[in-house]
Amino acid sequence: MAKKKLDERSDDSSNQSSHDSDVSNGSEEPNFSDPEGYVDDISDSELLGDLLLQKPKETDGYDTVIVVDGVPQVGPDRLEKLKNKVTKGYIFLEFSNPFHAAEAVAMADNLKIDKQHTFQVNLFTDFAKYEQIPEKWDPPQPRPYEGQADLHHYLLEADAYDQFAVVTAQGQNVQIWQNTLPDPVVLEERSNWTQTCIRWSPLGTFLATFHKLGIALWAGPNFTQYKKFAHPNVQYIDFSPCEKYLVTYSPQGDPNNPEKRLIIWDIRTGQEKRSFDPDGPSAWPIFRWSHDDKYFGKIGNDILSIYETPSFGLLDKKSIKISGIRDFNWSPTDNVVAYWVAETKDVPASVTLLELPSRNEIRKKNLFMVADCKIHWQKSGDYLTVKVDRYSKARKEKNEMKYSGMYCNFEIFHMREKEVPVDSVEIKETIQAFAWEPVGTKLAIIHGESPSINVSFYEVKVGLAPVLLKQFEKRSCTNLFWSPSGQYIVLAGLGANGGSLEFIDTNEFLVMNTTDHFQMSDVEWDPTGRYVFTGVSFWKSKVDTGYWMWSFQGKILKRINLERFAQILWRPRLSTLLSDAQQKEIKKNLKKYYAQFESKDRMRQSKASKELIEKRAALMEKFREYREENIKKWIEKKSRRLALRNNIDTDELGADTDNVEEEIVEFFIKEEIIPIE
Amino acid sequence: MKPLILHGHERSITQIKYNREGDLLFSSSKDNKPNVWYSLNGERLGTFNGHQGAVWCIDVDWTTTKFMSGAGDNSCKLWDCETGKVIGNIVTLSSVRTCMFSYSANMAVYTTDKAMKQACEMCIIDIPISGSRVSSILWDNLDEMIITGHESGEIYQWDVKTGKKINSTKEHDSLINDMQWNKDGTMFITASKDHTAKLFDAESLAVLKTYKTERPINSAAISPIADHVVLGGGQEAMEVTTTSARAGKFDSRFFHLVFEEEFARVKGHFGPINSVAFHPDGKSYASGGEDGYVRVHNFDSSYFEYNFDY
Repeated sequence: MAKKKLDERSDDSSNQSSHDSDVSNGSEEPNFSDPEGYVDDISDSELLGDLLLQKPKETDGYDTVIVVDGVPQVGPDRLEKLKNKVTKGYIFLEFSNPFHAAEAVAMADNLKIDKQHTFQVNLFTDFAKYEQIPEKWDPPQPRPYEGQADLHHYLLEADAYDQFAVVTAQGQNVQIWQNTLPDPVVLEERSNWTQTCIRWSPLGTFLATFHKLGIALWAGPNFTQYKKFAHPNVQYIDFSPCEKYLVTYSPQGDPNNPEKRLIIWDIRTGQEKRSFDPDGPSAWPIFRWSHDDKYFGKIGNDILSIYETPSFGLLDKKSIKISGIRDFNWSPTDNVVAYWVAETKDVPASVTLLELPSRNEIRKKNLFMVADCKIHWQKSGDYLTVKVDRYSKARKEKNEMKYSGMYCNFEIFHMREKEVPVDSVEIKETIQAFAWEPVGTKLAIIHGESPSINVSFYEVKVGLAPVLLKQFEKRSCTNLFWSPSGQYIVLAGLGANGGSLEFIDTNEFLVMNTTDHFQMSDVEWDPTGRYVFTGVSFWKSKVDTGYWMWSFQGKILKRINLERFAQILWRPRLSTLLSDAQQKEIKKNLKKYYAQFESKDRMRQSKASKELIEKRAALMEKFREYREENIKKWIEKKSRRLALRNNIDTDELGADTDNVEEEIVEFFIKEEIIPIE
Repeated sequence: MKPLILHGHERSITQIKYNREGDLLFSSSKDNKPNVWYSLNGERLGTFNGHQGAVWCIDVDWTTTKFMSGAGDNSCKLWDCETGKVIGNIVTLSSVRTCMFSYSANMAVYTTDKAMKQACEMCIIDIPISGSRVSSILWDNLDEMIITGHESGEIYQWDVKTGKKINSTKEHDSLINDMQWNKDGTMFITASKDHTAKLFDAESLAVLKTYKTERPINSAAISPIADHVVLGGGQEAMEVTTTSARAGKFDSRFFHLVFEEEFARVKGHFGPINSVAFHPDGKSYASGGEDGYVRVHNFDSSYFEYNFDY
């Protein structure tokens, strides 16, 4: 009804306006002619420049035409076919729309049709453009050199303090802290620095911030902007291990360039190297990098595609065909990939190590009754573990495999030995988590079902089967966090009901501390393995957000309760440049350095405690003065108080000695019945 | 430090108070019957039976002869401490929220809630109070002044003789749940829903110190012998069911009076703490919780040996 009414009304108004025009028609028409002697001194472009822009041009309508040059010139000997004329060697072709014309240009330009002839295909409209090329060419002016800030400034810090970044949600305030002793200091703080979260590059050089329009990298002593990478709606990023390239992925894509959903950039120049439009959902990172940035690969349907840099083309121009490939991963130290293939009717599942670029198969291990595999490399590339979920029974149900009687195998590949021997460890329970000691030979596994969750440590040795070193029973942890330098591990229960923390020294399997941080969502080791942060992120929990700092032994150092705290990340460090011999030398003289550091620490500590004590003493002095004043007043009023309480002094508990009544109250404490014989 | 657990109430504790000598501990709860206990061993001495509604506030005079209670049954009752008999009953028009004897106990004050179309009123001196309702009250030590803490976080000073407002301040952002004197009555501590407790000068109403926590504070007390304060509180009772006991932080928290630094916590209640009180000798303290228990804690020797460096 309402709509109808509206229509009626609009009808009314149009009637009204027509009525109005009737009225104007009825009146005398004004005179529009120029007066005599009038000189029009306003040019058309001045008067209606905007309209002239839309004036039809000669080339309009020709954008569907292309010109093909380099067509064979045919002489009159082919007379019959060409009606006795030498052709000019070019062709005009008209297409149904400009899009097809452009497509034809792209396809046929520079097409070699035989030895002598190559097509030169251009849009007809381009000719006007080419005609206007100026005769004289000016070489472009070299751009003034912009010196860049020292990107590794933070590594030159005299006391080698590490940095960490803290993000606060809703405002996305980012703080960069330096973990100085005895208290960390803020180096940089900016609100709205990012729109979601932040990332450090793998070597710690760059800080990446996420924005609606793309990614920004920040570096140098003052965190100045290093480069911007425009990629609307970007959600995931990945750095190549040597920080040469950056991969950005925008699942929704750029509205203007919908096919550019994944872009690989050169970080130093800021240029786009190649873009992809990955099909279907796949686990991030879609592309995985070799340790030296030379290759990157992804899996497709029955293929493994390896690309090489800096050409960004497929290695040997073709993908590797591997039917049934399910997952792969690069060794962190060598150009070797490990991939696994699911079982089919006649072929068992297998794990294969493939060397690149030679495509040599180093090792292949067949596996039976496999439901799923997880490939996990040790950080130093010495070992590869494949967690194999195996079944005892399988049946097909509506095209989906149902497995039962699950158990688990760990296949451990010794990468540094001849022929790559493989060891097997079987575990009858479900695996919650597992992790290699980053430097060392221990593998930690959380297995079992709540409430009887156990943590086992295995050691791998040359020529020996893996040994179970230790098992901790009935733990309430869900995740394992090894110290980056090995030996120490944190067992943590994450999530809404989690919060348990256990700090373990795996040399003697000593539980150094058992504690908790309720509803903890993150655990972060510093790059040197001396400090651990536990955090309750606003993204997971709305109350008691904040981050706590622990020593590697599990001693609480700081509790920072920060409203809307969201993310904390240690800035990574380059690995040491010292040779093994130099490191050994330092270890040998540790006692000497130890004394130096100790005295330095003590000085800092005493300075800090001196400051604290001075502050407290000042507070106490001020308070004491205030109290003295008050007590003086209070004593002055004593007579008035006494008057109010019948002259009984109640200022102190025992002040009124005259009126004390002593009362003995007996309490029944214990009854004992002793039978007398 | 093993506490005495006083189990006599059937519902949440609303207030606890020691008498002047500290040998008796009075407690009130939503179960209509205030209790009195030996503070030494936690034995119950008796109950005050007569109220028909939740008892919100209690006080005992300096001679421990008279006991006063205000309740949700629209009455403020005066009791004989020894016999537990009602000796006075004032019928009010709405719930009695706060009450206190004056220093000499010749006068007493109580306030009523702003409810059932009644304004919030402060009696014995009938003055209607404009603005937010009174949520805590104190008499000064000369029977001359009353200090009220309000739902809005404001604090007023009143002249008893004229009934006029002398001074006011607003330092808290939210309801003031409790106010308690220091030993000589020159300073008082407030406990507020805004997660802080503050120390005030009684005469000027100037803030001297602020003690910050992450949870609403329901009660705060100042030690009579050491520079310590104890705060009790925790997640609000209505939100408790949605979180685990660990997130509620139902601990008694000890702060240094001057440095505002927290140095100890006492766990035990499984609901928020509604009221805390120091024994007048400073050697023990008691806490009453939403869980219906009163816990009396005698301090260990380590408490008395602990000192801040300054």
